[in-house]
Amino acid sequence: MDRRWADELRPPKTGLLAGALVVVGVTLWMLVDKSLLFVAGIGAFGPGILREIGWLRDHDEFQRQAAHRAGYHAWLVGGLAAVVVLSALERGGAGAAVSIEWLGLVLALMWLTWLFSSLLTYWGAQRTTRVVLLAFGSFWLLFGIATIVSEAVDGSGSFDVAGTILGILAGSAIIGPFFLGAWAVTRWPAFTGSVLIAIAALFSWQFGPWGMDEWSTQLLTLTLLALPMFACGLALLVESTTDT
Amino acid sequence: MTQQELADRAGVTRQTIVSIEKGKYNPSVGLALRLASTFGVSVEELFEIDREAGDG
Repeated sequence: MDRRWADELRPPKTGLLAGALVVVGVTLWMLVDKSLLFVAGIGAFGPGILREIGWLRDHDEFQRQAAHRAGYHAWLVGGLAAVVVLSALERGGAGAAVSIEWLGLVLALMWLTWLFSSLLTYWGAQRTTRVVLLAFGSFWLLFGIATIVSEAVDGSGSFDVAGTILGILAGSAIIGPFFLGAWAVTRWPAFTGSVLIAIAALFSWQFGPWGMDEWSTQLLTLTLLALPMFACGLALLVESTTDT
Repeated sequence: MTQQELADRAGVTRQTIVSIEKGKYNPSVGLALRLASTFGVSVEELFEIDREAGDG
């Protein structure tokens, strides 16, 4: 990674503090108490509110415009999602399962839209896709290593060599395409974009809520798994079309 | 002059300078004047209208 990349990927102090609050808030929410999610909310929305009041002046005009644009995109997607969810629940009548996952789904859509809009404005489609694929790949890599290590040492404490090799091969089959995609995106952006949209469609078909009762949970999983792929793929195709 | 030096003199981030250079961001009048002043030229010498896109 050259110095320019390192400079652009390094978040400012406010971003680091806000990110730390989000991580702490989500950790507290998962491990301690569900009501402590508000700590993540302070990190996610606090800096923006302080900037709008005028108490925090760490953005220049380009960053302010990017933030306003991303906020508008998040409002459009989040508003539409909220109306669709409300309509669906109303149609289901009093017996419709209203769960906290529906709220989580709308929040996830808003947050992902805001994040993608910001990243696309800052980096463009190719670099954004590269970072997203590397993040996905790294996550699965850590997850895979943790699984392999925990399964390699069985209950008796002995090391299972055959199982470990099998685990590494299976893990590589999942992780490899993410890193391969990150490498290919700057070389063949339109092709990579098409592949990502196909993968998103495959995910939707495989993990979709078709015929299930817990639509909200499945849609949330799909939003976090397939939507980033679809958004990256679409952005790459649009950028390829406008650049030519 | 590097992009970072120009950004520091104009009081913006390097990303802003990159976006202006790529034609993805149109600076405000104030920033355009500061950039022109940094180079010792007029705004018209530094920026030109893109007739096809209909903006600067």
